[in-house]
Amino acid sequence: MNPVLVVGGGPAGLSAAAELASLGAEALLVEKEGYLGGNPKRWHYSLLAPDLKPAEEVLGDLLGKVEGNPRVEVRLGTSVTAVDPAPPGFRVTLQGGKGPEGREVSAVILATGFDHFDSRRKFEYGYGRYPDVLDFKELEGMIHDDKVLRPSDGKPPKRIAWVLCVGSRDLQVGNPWCCRMGCVVSIKQAVEIRQKHPEMEAFVYYMDIRTYGLWEDLYWKSMQQYGVKFIRGRIGQITLAEGGKRLLATGEDTLLSRPTEVPFDMVVLASGMEPGQGTKRMAELFHLPVGPEGFITPKISDINPVDSGVPGLYLAGAATGPKAIPDSVTEGMGAALRAYQHARR
Amino acid sequence: MPIVEPSLVEVQRTEQLELDGIDVSGDWNTFLRSRVHTDLDLKVLEWVRSQPQGETISRCWQCGTCTAGCCMHTDFGLEEFNPRYFIYLAQIGYEAELRKYAETIWRCVSCNKCVERCPKGVKVEEVVHSIGSYLEVTGMAKESPADRFDRAYTENLLRRGVLDEAALFQTYERLEGRKTPGRELFRLGLSMLLSGRLHTGPFAHRTRGWGKMRPVLTRLMTEDLRRRRETARGPPPGSGP
Ligand code: SF4
Ligand code: SF4
Ligand code: SF4
Repeated sequence: MNPVLVVGGGPAGLSAAAELASLGAEALLVEKEGYLGGNPKRWHYSLLAPDLKPAEEVLGDLLGKVEGNPRVEVRLGTSVTAVDPAPPGFRVTLQGGKGPEGREVSAVILATGFDHFDSRRKFEYGYGRYPDVLDFKELEGMIHDDKVLRPSDGKPPKRIAWVLCVGSRDLQVGNPWCCRMGCVVSIKQAVEIRQKHPEMEAFVYYMDIRTYGLWEDLYWKSMQQYGVKFIRGRIGQITLAEGGKRLLATGEDTLLSRPTEVPFDMVVLASGMEPGQGTKRMAELFHLPVGPEGFITPKISDINPVDSGVPGLYLAGAATGPKAIPDSVTEGMGAALRAYQHARR
Repeated sequence: MPIVEPSLVEVQRTEQLELDGIDVSGDWNTFLRSRVHTDLDLKVLEWVRSQPQGETISRCWQCGTCTAGCCMHTDFGLEEFNPRYFIYLAQIGYEAELRKYAETIWRCVSCNKCVERCPKGVKVEEVVHSIGSYLEVTGMAKESPADRFDRAYTENLLRRGVLDEAALFQTYERLEGRKTPGRELFRLGLSMLLSGRLHTGPFAHRTRGWGKMRPVLTRLMTEDLRRRRETARGPPPGSGP
């Protein structure tokens, strides 16, 4: 049996490869970056919501099952550049450091994931112009290293604001969907900071809080135990205040029906999820239907979210829409099982 | 504690009222007016939504981004001018509250910052004007100085098809009971003369063929106003998208 090709080395891809190996199949794991672990690794995610378990621990578990596994061939810095049907599988061309290489595979799992929204596109928030306006993936790294400091002067911030739904639920940037994790991750960050630095004040500007399912617990704790404050209103713009020393977040407090212009030392933008570059490329290469949002549309998304509709081609993780890590891991397992069944036939 | 705000007090007169066998007929002036909103009347919403200007109103999810950047609300400090709140009142049909803003809602300067930023694609500026129109055509809004000026402007323009600025100025002074001091008037007249805007009276410009245009335009405008009044008063139009 030829190996099953897994495209993408984030949580979904790692989970798929690990599962294939445990079924006794061979996996060929291709990752375009030079490391495994996907976005969580790239941005040094700190604790993962909702269990506040270190990202390294969660990823480490998955990596341990893949790295050094004789049934998993890992190819870093490699992309899939061409594909031809070779029933029951495919013939693919890989482009790595050494030039093109043809391979026969028995099935393909696309786990190409998402990209964080580029917050510079929301120009009225000043990201990229004002150093103390951060994207929340950057704050993840700071929290991880316990160095929550203002990039402008290296001093610890006294008051921090989180702005939710940046690049999500926003027709102005063409992204009407909800990112699903901006709320819970922002609240988690506020909790982490308040745990370690109770002297720092945390305010979250929200339209509505979407800590769905069991994540609601963290939302409640953030208020009751950690004193995180919530202000209902979407920030309209961020400018400089106090001679450029602080940031001014201008919005409407819709519960007060009044304008609010509060100075902050740091503003954190909860940037949304967009279909990853790899997801877009693979959708083109495999001629897969994409929804208006640009994510790949599974054949029947409710009863079989990992089936692409093309025999032997399966989907896992954020390639089909914003998704949290546990969901991506589960889909990786599901896709592995389906690919295994296909390859065995 | 005595109630000092008379507008909050409802005086009730009861000719015959007994409580537990005791006659308590007379004037009751200590009933505070209820602040409870008891009706969700969709008439305003339906009307606004049926207007070309107002159809995006139902997209609004009340995030406040428009108000956050609205120059009337923030820069000019007119706190009562709150586009998000106007939209909310229209959405839930709270006419009694909405009419309090009849004088304010027209203060929008059409800068369109709200439209530029609204994450839901609400044409906020147009919607706000549409809500204002509702107040106007239902007679809830008293004519404001701005309305009077608009009317004088339109009438002036309709006369010859070209604006007669000097005459407009005179009309405005008469309507508002204002009198500009002679020296200022002279300065104004001189500057208008020099900038070529003192074509008034027998020297006024006119538009060619205006005699034919005017009746058509007048009829159109009258009909449009009548139609808008009727739709606002009559039964709500069917639910659109
Ligand atoms: S998860 Fe929260 S932050 Fe993200 S788009 Fe949805 S509501 Fe906004
Ligand atoms: S167009 Fe009107 S409502 Fe909109 S921001 Fe400008 S003044 Fe405010
Ligand atoms: S910005 Fe748009 S969606 Fe938000 S309150 Fe204003 S009109 Fe409604």
